[in-house]
Amino acid sequence: MGSYYDIDAILTDAQKVPCTFDLDIPGLGYLDENAGGDIKAGTRVSLPLWLSTLLAVQRLGPSSQQLCTLDLPASISPRVLAALKAGPKTVDLRQLASHYYELAARVLELFEEEEIVDVLGETFKERAAEIADHAHNPRGALGEAQDFLRGLDEMERQLFRSAHGSSNAMREWMGETKKKR
Amino acid sequence: MALPLPPGLTPPETAFLCEMEMVTVIPRQRLEGLELLGGPIPPLNPPYRTSLPLWLALLLKRQRRANVLPPPWLSPPSLHSILDFEKSTPSFSPPLPLPPHTTTSPPFLPSATANAPPDALPYHWLELGEMLLEAASDDIPEPDNVRRLMRDLREVRMAKMRAGVGVLEGGREVKMNGVGGMEVAEGRAFIGGVVDGLRKIGASKEMSRREREAEERENGIGGGEDDEDDMDI
Repeated sequence: MGSYYDIDAILTDAQKVPCTFDLDIPGLGYLDENAGGDIKAGTRVSLPLWLSTLLAVQRLGPSSQQLCTLDLPASISPRVLAALKAGPKTVDLRQLASHYYELAARVLELFEEEEIVDVLGETFKERAAEIADHAHNPRGALGEAQDFLRGLDEMERQLFRSAHGSSNAMREWMGETKKKR
Repeated sequence: MALPLPPGLTPPETAFLCEMEMVTVIPRQRLEGLELLGGPIPPLNPPYRTSLPLWLALLLKRQRRANVLPPPWLSPPSLHSILDFEKSTPSFSPPLPLPPHTTTSPPFLPSATANAPPDALPYHWLELGEMLLEAASDDIPEPDNVRRLMRDLREVRMAKMRAGVGVLEGGREVKMNGVGGMEVAEGRAFIGGVVDGLRKIGASKEMSRREREAEERENGIGGGEDDEDDMDI
């Protein structure tokens, strides 16, 4: 986990994931837009990641019953994973979640789905190669690659930025050596 | 918080380090030996060749007081053969072999003097070649040809470095022997970013693997030879 002030970590924590309550909880209705009311067992609500992970690991009472269960968020649902497997470069990750990989990594810490980890790693690698190509020749960023680059999640954007920066620094240095003459 | 500077060296810094490389010059004027902090500079006696640090050679060249003798690998036939080698294999062309029992590293190796081996690229090949082409292109045979070959070589090697990312995975690695200083400076941000990202994504898998291993060790199945420092990139 990054630093306490890491804005990306904070934004990751604020993303919502679905969870289902397993118990009736009095007075918690405001989570389900029912202020003052109770929350019923079986209600599905979208809660921010930081809250839902805490609730999901919380046990209550002597029977140590779970307060709520975390569901797999839509962004790593089998449908999305199938799409990622078929064509990693065509999926708009940003639309699914702005911090897609970090969200997935946090959720997967609780789920232990090794297959999903593999698919995501493969996806990231394939997309990284594409990102490197676009970072290298800036003309591509304006043309047909626009759609792809708009669909990058925050981690990939940072990757693009740093790759572009170093290739720019290189070009600058090469140009400088020519100018000094 | 942290300094906004990225880790590693920038291209100008790499080029600065490269200026310590020794190159061979043919002086046109006499100059007595200099006692500098970086080491003594031998006296210049035209027309005898001398080895000078690149920064001094470039200075004298700009003042028309010396001619640079380009290293043998900076010539069209050598670059051609290296380029052919690069195109035919997935690995990088082997670096300059170190002399036996040496403890120095570039820029203190005589890899850019007139008697350097012609068939291998030294560590600072890209920046040295660029600087010589810029300041002393009239001393290099067929400068345009050399420039074109250098650019081709750079493209081929950069493409290889980027392609290397595709095979990265826990346990497997990319062999980067022979990659030059400037190429490292250029590729560091991207490759480091990819490795970091893969580690973040694979963190949960890695953790469960560790747990499993620890459990196995406790049950006495795993045995003694655990690989604690087996780093996955």
